[in-house]
Amino acid sequence: MNQTELLEQFVIEARECLEAIGARLLDVERDPTNQELLNDLFRSVHTLKGNCGLFDFKPLERVMHAGEDLLDRVRHRTLDYSGELADALLDAMDYAARLIDQIERSGRIDDGADAQSIVHAQALRALFDSVTAAPVAVVPAAAAAPAVAVSQAAPDWLARLEAALLAAHPAATAVRYLPEEGCFFKGEDPWRLASTAPGLLALHVDGRQAWPEGDERAAWDCYQCNLDIVLLSSAACAALEQHFRCVPEQVVYHQPQPQPQPEHQPEHQALPLPLSTEALDADTDSDPAQATLRQRAAQLWADQCALLARSGLSAGTVQATRKTLHGLLAAVDDAASKVASAELDAVPDARLLAWVRQQALQDQSLLADDPAADPAAVLQPADSMVSELPQRFEDSSGGHPHKVLKVSQEKIDRLMELIGEMVVAKNSLPYLAQRAEDVFQQRELSREIKAQYAVINRIAEDMQHAVLQVRMLPVGAVFQRFGRLVRDISRKLGKDVNLVIEGEDTEADKNVIEPLSDPLIHILRNSLDHGIETPDVRRAAGKPAAGTIRIAARQESDRVLIEISDDGAGVNPVRVRAKAVERGLIPADRAALLSDDDAVQLVFLPGFSTVDTISDLSGRGVGMDVVRTAIARINGGVDLRSVHGKGTTLTLSLPLSMAVTNVMIVESAGRRLGVPMDLIVETVRVHTDDIHHFKQVRTTVLRGRIVPLRALNELLALDAEPLANEQGELAVLVVRIGNQNVGLLVDHFQGASDIILKPLEGVLAGLTGFAGTALMGDGGVLMVLNPKELL
Amino acid sequence: MAIRYLKKHAALEGSVSVDDAESLTQWLQRQPAPAVHLGKCEHLHGAVLQVLLALRPKLVAAPADPLLAAVLRGA
Repeated sequence: MNQTELLEQFVIEARECLEAIGARLLDVERDPTNQELLNDLFRSVHTLKGNCGLFDFKPLERVMHAGEDLLDRVRHRTLDYSGELADALLDAMDYAARLIDQIERSGRIDDGADAQSIVHAQALRALFDSVTAAPVAVVPAAAAAPAVAVSQAAPDWLARLEAALLAAHPAATAVRYLPEEGCFFKGEDPWRLASTAPGLLALHVDGRQAWPEGDERAAWDCYQCNLDIVLLSSAACAALEQHFRCVPEQVVYHQPQPQPQPEHQPEHQALPLPLSTEALDADTDSDPAQATLRQRAAQLWADQCALLARSGLSAGTVQATRKTLHGLLAAVDDAASKVASAELDAVPDARLLAWVRQQALQDQSLLADDPAADPAAVLQPADSMVSELPQRFEDSSGGHPHKVLKVSQEKIDRLMELIGEMVVAKNSLPYLAQRAEDVFQQRELSREIKAQYAVINRIAEDMQHAVLQVRMLPVGAVFQRFGRLVRDISRKLGKDVNLVIEGEDTEADKNVIEPLSDPLIHILRNSLDHGIETPDVRRAAGKPAAGTIRIAARQESDRVLIEISDDGAGVNPVRVRAKAVERGLIPADRAALLSDDDAVQLVFLPGFSTVDTISDLSGRGVGMDVVRTAIARINGGVDLRSVHGKGTTLTLSLPLSMAVTNVMIVESAGRRLGVPMDLIVETVRVHTDDIHHFKQVRTTVLRGRIVPLRALNELLALDAEPLANEQGELAVLVVRIGNQNVGLLVDHFQGASDIILKPLEGVLAGLTGFAGTALMGDGGVLMVLNPKELL
Repeated sequence: MAIRYLKKHAALEGSVSVDDAESLTQWLQRQPAPAVHLGKCEHLHGAVLQVLLALRPKLVAAPADPLLAAVLRGA
């Protein structure tokens, strides 16, 4: 999957996330005490923020991060949910949606968005800052200020600078820097940052809240940043922004005499084209007839572009386009167009579109470089460029070949059911043909029915395949983006990690694959953060410096298994026990009784985290319990095995749900049973004399290897001996269980069949030994065995 | 050694890092008449500066850095 596809997926997912956030926000507003809803909301924001990290979408990430912090406080009841808060969040989400639109259109975020995102992030942060640090009245004011947060009116903090100094430097920029409370833990040094500001003229430091007095001193936390720094600088605002670029939301700028701000209105940056059209129109107004002509010509030029951009062009269309372009160039009739006209003949068909666009581009740049150049010579193509660009955007969204149709899941399910019924109905035709021959002695009719059956069979199979294709996704679709994720995170952590992906072609239902993405990201992050050690530690432990994370997917009977293993430090059962007790998740005496293997499983408890500080990787307690619940939701299971010092292996076992399964139909004691084909090694007939009895155990030798034999009747508690054929041979179905071959004694083989396996539900759900049921062509029900459970 | 705790004052020398803030806080809180010597101090971490601003010990010697000296005087 290349970057563009990745981006497309990001856009789709981000939209979904935003939709979910929007809906949840409204739900929470209705029921603000519902912890479940709040957690869900937080998770959505958290996911979107995490996804932004895959790309370099700083403005989006910043807004989402602020939203996340805000929700985290709401979630932990340090902040009350209010309508005001919801408004700010919804505003921020609308803004995020606009950014996503931008990303979809151009693949990146316009430069102007940076400043605006700060405003949004500040607005969000202001909501909890106003609670934690009451005196900070400036921040909401700044949030309402335009783009770069240069407030116009003199704020009260300006008075802390000497008036004489202010008067001496009227053009200087005043900056108020309020480091966040936890900044010392992030390795920031606000004093150094402030004292090294460019063009520093004066500096004043005070406490954001009054410094402690008397008894308060004893309880005072020296690592809770309480600094409030005001400085005056002669440097340009942009240089200061650059200096404080890491903490933009903590800084407020004030310029006593605001300088004219060229082009700092985001709207203009986002849409430069209409502007330039106006400028061009102004130029051409002098000659209305000429202007109309050029306008028409530009329109036609753009039409040709759109035409060429279509897929599947016929040679005739290209020829016609050429002719039109020639005509257009002739109509403008000047030196430049003559040259272009000559060039046009030399351009091969395949490059025509590029040439037409390039032609427009060249002229555009010419116009920009030299506004005094003959307007008639350059205006026409430049004009066409102007009207052509928006059209191209329309093309990319409207006329794109990869149209995505959003269809509700139920409709596909319904379709799938109907096709299933049709397969069953179709399968009854061979029986009908048999009847026509046997009962009515109509051989001719029987043959015709069979011929018709073959046709319907083919169509039905294609249909089934097509619908399954709609629902099936290779697991690789989820894995692909992990490459980037692992690379970025490992780099951030200073670790060396190889990601090995196996079996990405394994397919499973969309319903199963899609919810995997979040849990897998959590698992990978855990592996990277806690599992893989730094290169030094690894070398000391005698391991290769580079860690390995392996993701392997494979199908095993009716399950898809995804195994995520790392060769890192593994889970330390002692530490897990201690942490679980410390966090009050289980009583200490019970923790002490747990075996190491059971202790490791404690990581699945809600709220479990071994990390005390919150990083952007982990520590929020959104951990393994989320993984477990997410997997459980799709009827899957998680199995964690870890050897301390050696590594951790997580196995996700997922159902295939609706999938066509190839089964072998066997008969035993008069019953038809299905066995999944992927487990079958071979079918053989073994003479009763070749079966060795040893007490109750029967074995035989196949290709020089001993294969244990079990009678299917016995396993199913059917009171009948396996039937032998006329030659005294028994039918043996050899299946592979784990790494061992086992022979099942059955009565007859009846051949293979594609069936739609329906999992056992309701009262049948508790039945062990069966993978599910399927409806056969003659209306019978086929029970499909799960040999693994059976043996 | 960035901070030397002497009988009458604490001498902050060279570059004082964030880790020293806690021990300095504790020492200053224990002293009946806390005093610091910043004559040889080249740089203070923000956290240490905050400690000095909050607990306001007597300045035996001002730091060489005029900015820092001004801030400590102003507080």
